[in-house]
Amino acid sequence: MSSDTKPLPIIEVLNIKKRYGLIQALKGISFSVGKGEIVGFLGPNGAGKSTTLKILSGLIPADSGEAKVCGVDLAEEEGEVRNHIGFLPENNPLPEDLRVIEYLNFRAMLKGLKGSRKRDRIRIVLDVCDLERKVSERKIGNLSKGYRQRVGIADALLSEPRLVILDEPTIGLDPRQSAITRKMMERLRGEVTFLLSSHILSEVEACCDRMIILSHGQIVAEGTLHELQTEFINKTVFEVVALTNRIDIHKKVRVLDDSCELLQDEPVEINGKRRFIFSTEKGEVLAEKILRHLLKDASLRIFEFQITKPDLETIFLRATKKNWEESDLLAKKSRRIYKENST
Amino acid sequence: MMNGYWVILRTELFSLFISPATYVSTFYFLALLGVGFRFFIESFAGTNWILPPLSSLSVGLIFGSPALIPFLTMRTIAEERRLGTLETLMSAPINAGSIITGKWCASYIFFLLICCGAYAYPLLLWAVFPEQALTLGFNNFEHWIGGFIFLMSFGASFTAIGIFASSVTRNQMVAGMLSFSLITLYLAIMAFSYGDPSEVSTNSSFEELIQSIGGSLNNGLDKLQFFAVGIIHIPTILHQLIVVFLFLFLATLQVERIRH
Repeated sequence: MSSDTKPLPIIEVLNIKKRYGLIQALKGISFSVGKGEIVGFLGPNGAGKSTTLKILSGLIPADSGEAKVCGVDLAEEEGEVRNHIGFLPENNPLPEDLRVIEYLNFRAMLKGLKGSRKRDRIRIVLDVCDLERKVSERKIGNLSKGYRQRVGIADALLSEPRLVILDEPTIGLDPRQSAITRKMMERLRGEVTFLLSSHILSEVEACCDRMIILSHGQIVAEGTLHELQTEFINKTVFEVVALTNRIDIHKKVRVLDDSCELLQDEPVEINGKRRFIFSTEKGEVLAEKILRHLLKDASLRIFEFQITKPDLETIFLRATKKNWEESDLLAKKSRRIYKENST
Repeated sequence: MMNGYWVILRTELFSLFISPATYVSTFYFLALLGVGFRFFIESFAGTNWILPPLSSLSVGLIFGSPALIPFLTMRTIAEERRLGTLETLMSAPINAGSIITGKWCASYIFFLLICCGAYAYPLLLWAVFPEQALTLGFNNFEHWIGGFIFLMSFGASFTAIGIFASSVTRNQMVAGMLSFSLITLYLAIMAFSYGDPSEVSTNSSFEELIQSIGGSLNNGLDKLQFFAVGIIHIPTILHQLIVVFLFLFLATLQVERIRH
């Protein structure tokens, strides 16, 4: 979905900030989400994903900035927004001693559903989330993590919300259960807007129309996968699998291309071998030259070489790395100023 | 938001009715109260108790409430905080005030049910030994009504204290102990000033102010004398209402603080 054909915004966020004591969790973020979109919120731990989602669901207020969800201004009608959204909190806390059906009944009543509409909605969400009759009669405390997560999602969908916010919906789930969650979102694609945060990049890549990458309380990248690929990696990316260390291989590569960049801080290890990802601005021809140059040095023990298209992981690392470096620089600067002042 | 209050009230009452801990504590409490009431009635003639014998039931229930009320209230918010379900609850269209009032009402209704259970003893006595019951003055309905209103007003404030205690911690046991301590302290202050000659009039308006702020804390148990004979002492009821609002307000603030 390109930015030109973006549907009407269901979420509009303008420069929201949030501070927890000394920590500035959000440093003024702005974005919008259109109706029917599935948007993934990505970022390392402590980036501000959960804070943003809590603000948007009306659970906590922002310190400053403007946010509108389903046309409701959060600063003025914080409670009203909860009538329009479904929210799955991180870790999905549920009462252990209630049965699934009792819990959904309770939540439906809290959300103002009554009579036949309540019964119909419970039946529909049980069906959408693959919670068969047998499971719905069991106590929540006795359910597996996957089923508990589905109960949380069923609750989020109960009141036919226009927006569903899912904070880490697939955390701790096995691949089969994650696939069921994705399938559920696919079934509702277009009808409901989804905003989800996740650490599992492949999953976001598979099911989201758009991604927003957060780091240190700031948005560092935003767009479709194609847009992010163009924006961040307009370079040739190549992978090398070798039995050498990071410094040696980088030194060898830099002999031919000084601007060639190693994208990871720590290479991935596979059966004792290391996978290095480089990017160069000088195109595939230079990448081939680098391969030939590396092969000349037997001590590097090159096993594989591949010119690739950057995946979301590469984009994520690239986008957040710059922000990390800036933050580190700022921290060093403030430490230096502090030292100077104290002496 | 009113809908949320009813839903919370219903769910809390349901969970109190299905909880074995509530039944166990209620059973022991009523059993002990029954034994105490029996011995009191048997030895009533030999005591210098100036109030109607039925009032002993109210005294028993009020002085037993530090042990009973924590069982009814300690789970309410502390457990929600421990499990993290308070956040899930707040994600629904409901405010902190409705949650607190719903939970308080459920505990209060259950407390009143226990009081009704306790009043079954004199009723039973009356049914089995009608002549003795008449001698003991059980036929004076104003004694029954006065005693029950006394329990209603103090029960309301004690359950509010219990709800507040449950909102300040994640640990049920800590909540229970805190509520036990606060209610015991409240009763102790009331009991210490019991029987002191109360000044009918005072020249100092400051002292009058202090006394009115002190409300039923000041010479609190003396107020039982009114209720026991069927006089509804409105200032005591109003004071208990203030205590209810104060502690429920503090509990609501606490829940709002956790949210932010």
